[in-house]
Amino acid sequence: MERCGPLKMLKSRLELISSAFLLLALVGTTAGFSPPQSAPQGQRWFEDVTHKAGINYRHHSRHFNNEFSEIMQGYTKLGASVAVADYNGDGFEDIFVTDSCATCKNHLYRNNGDFTFTDVAEEAGVAAGNDEENASAGALWLDFNNDGRPDLFVVRFGHSILYENLGNGKFRDVAKAAGLDSYLNAIKAIAFDYDNDGYVDLFIGCYFQNISLFHPTTSRFFPESFETANNGGGVFVYHNNGDGTFTDVTQKVGIRTSGWTLDLGHGDANNDGWEDLYVANDFGTDRFFLNNGNGTFTDKTETAVGFDTKKGMNADWGDYDNDGLLDIYVTNITDDYMREGNFLWHNNGNLTFTDVSRETGTYDTGWGWGGKFFDYDNDGWLDLYVVNGWVSAGPESYVPDVFAMVTKPGIDLADARNWPPMGNKSLSGYEKKKLFHNEGGHFFKDEAARHGLDSTRDGRGIAVADFDNDGRLDLFVTNADDEPFLYRNILPTGAHWIGFLLEGTKSNRSAIGAQVRITAGQKTYLRYVNGGNGFGGQSTTRVHLGLGQNTRIESVEISWPSGLKQKLPGLPIDHWYQVREGQSTKNIHPWKPKR
Amino acid sequence: MNKKIYSICFALWLLFCLFPQSVQASEADYRQGIKALTENKYQEALYYFEQAISGDPDNARYANDYRQAALKAKDFERPLQFFQKALAEHPNSANLHLNFGFAHVDKIPVAGSITQVILANDALTEFTKAIEIQPTWIGYYTRGESYLFWPKIFNRASMGVADLEKAMEMQKKGPRHSYHVKVYIALGDGYWKTDQLEKAKAMWQAGLKEFPDNASLKGRISLQGDELKNLIEAGFDPAKRVNTDLSELWEN
Repeated sequence: MERCGPLKMLKSRLELISSAFLLLALVGTTAGFSPPQSAPQGQRWFEDVTHKAGINYRHHSRHFNNEFSEIMQGYTKLGASVAVADYNGDGFEDIFVTDSCATCKNHLYRNNGDFTFTDVAEEAGVAAGNDEENASAGALWLDFNNDGRPDLFVVRFGHSILYENLGNGKFRDVAKAAGLDSYLNAIKAIAFDYDNDGYVDLFIGCYFQNISLFHPTTSRFFPESFETANNGGGVFVYHNNGDGTFTDVTQKVGIRTSGWTLDLGHGDANNDGWEDLYVANDFGTDRFFLNNGNGTFTDKTETAVGFDTKKGMNADWGDYDNDGLLDIYVTNITDDYMREGNFLWHNNGNLTFTDVSRETGTYDTGWGWGGKFFDYDNDGWLDLYVVNGWVSAGPESYVPDVFAMVTKPGIDLADARNWPPMGNKSLSGYEKKKLFHNEGGHFFKDEAARHGLDSTRDGRGIAVADFDNDGRLDLFVTNADDEPFLYRNILPTGAHWIGFLLEGTKSNRSAIGAQVRITAGQKTYLRYVNGGNGFGGQSTTRVHLGLGQNTRIESVEISWPSGLKQKLPGLPIDHWYQVREGQSTKNIHPWKPKR
Repeated sequence: MNKKIYSICFALWLLFCLFPQSVQASEADYRQGIKALTENKYQEALYYFEQAISGDPDNARYANDYRQAALKAKDFERPLQFFQKALAEHPNSANLHLNFGFAHVDKIPVAGSITQVILANDALTEFTKAIEIQPTWIGYYTRGESYLFWPKIFNRASMGVADLEKAMEMQKKGPRHSYHVKVYIALGDGYWKTDQLEKAKAMWQAGLKEFPDNASLKGRISLQGDELKNLIEAGFDPAKRVNTDLSELWEN
């Protein structure tokens, strides 16, 4: 016993030191203590937990049974998509993933709360997204009936499906009753309340024009030009009538475009309380539509961004330089044979944007697909993750075939028969993904290799969410004809954060379009709720802000779509908060998941 | 006999009077074009230059200054149409083919990525026709440099090297001109693009002996690895305008 004395003393000293640290840490979260910042350079902050989490079903593209099958199969490689929401209200974000082959099932991965997932698509009634006449191409969670339960829209080449969430773990198809059962070659949908009537409306982006891809009656359904094609599927706008039905108001609201839409992104460009729209088009000009605030939009492409001839594939909005204005990130094709470069549209504050992709180092991401703003290291600056790669197949390249076609005099590009079969050739394949760390809003540094996020699979969609509610944003990435990735963020503790789950009362219940301005360290940060921006992937609707070394926040202001501005006091940090529109600010406490 | 003498005299008179008159008229049009250009009257300048070229299609200066005027006017389509029409009338004019090719190159920076490829391809076709009619230093240098712009996948860099080696051969046979430095740079770049780094360095070194103040050569010799790659690749960015002004040829 005696001999144990010094050890005992040491132990009690350690306990004392530990207690002191614990006390300091607790005080630190509310009263200005700065814990040591982050981990040393070179350490990985993401862990690939795809298999461990049981979420590794691969995507399969469609084989078409028609004369265009050789060239058409590639286009269902676009259908590897993901959408995130807490469908069962247990406080943990769940994941819906699409597949595209005729016999393939879609997956609803229920979050078990311990970073494992269970595919419950069959029992929930949402597995059947593919058949001989329809191919899944995208997915969107939206609470169309404001019942607080996320419903699911499965975007398809064919007839899309609207699944109503019944609240008992089951869904039912209400597309027909809702007036959403038209045949469209839809590839993307986002939901936001364009007229601020309290219900989210549906914006559907279509790639091919409105002909059956499964039994085409003409061979002229391909893009008429590589740079100015206007024979695509365009955008359809469905107004939510608030009674479970939707009305096609595309013409009425002034969204007139017939481009080859690949992505839609909304955000309030001029902070006037009305959501504007960016349309990323393949084979031609992207479009920028300004919301007039009276239920209509004006096409401001020429003055806002100008007419481009690139291959727009992604449109995500975020305030990367923390100047209080939302910027836009668009991916295009950048390879040896096609030097388009991406757009990082810096918002100038006067409804014009300047492309700063070259200056910021975000210009070249290969054949880009999904790109998402998110703050992975909680330093208060939005970083960017971008996936890429079209087809990674055999060693032969498809590029010479394409150029032989385009240099043929008088070629009719719209005729699918003129497009050379791809066979087992590669085109912009085996490209490394990019994780751009935001260096103070001035430029970005690629840290993908360091964090193990530089896979060479053909990436498509990205969903950002905090799957374990620890304040560190995780990633789910889909890959065409391959397994997805689930990357768990294991950033060492140190950098602070705060997050919000917003619930509209007068505004749409999921608070899509709500802006949150958080002031910390005498600096104000803007974050907002988006309804599905980004190619092939819908991220969380929760609002997250990294606070870096800031150990307290001074104020929070929420601008709801209804127009209400709600001010919250300086809340303790490193917590999620659930805030209802207009609720008393005295009763706001840290939120915890039910399980 | 008198009839024969009369015929010869008539032919001489024709040669003496008519041909120079056409050239004189072209020169007058060209001067009008230059005057209009200095007054920033681009459309007028283009009109006079076109008149000058029509009268003297093999005049490199007229065709070159016409294209430069079109660049100032940001009218990339007009020279394409004009040279096409002029070539229908003078299909064997190497000068017209060469400048028609350059007119394609002039449009590349404002074109979309696929149109850039089509323009570059059409430019090569015209440069080849110019060489077939009249194999010149400028023809080989131009086509050789153009091949180097093509992505690796097309395997055209070695064709560029072959053309540039011919241009080098030609320039070594004649008097030295300041513009000859371009071949040293381009041929070195061609060797670099075909993975012959030692030959590339040797070519740039040889160029530096001839042109010791040339910054492009100095830069290439001083850099290694990725820095050298970035320097060379920056020169082949299709978004950047290639200087197609040939005035150096007659000014030096």
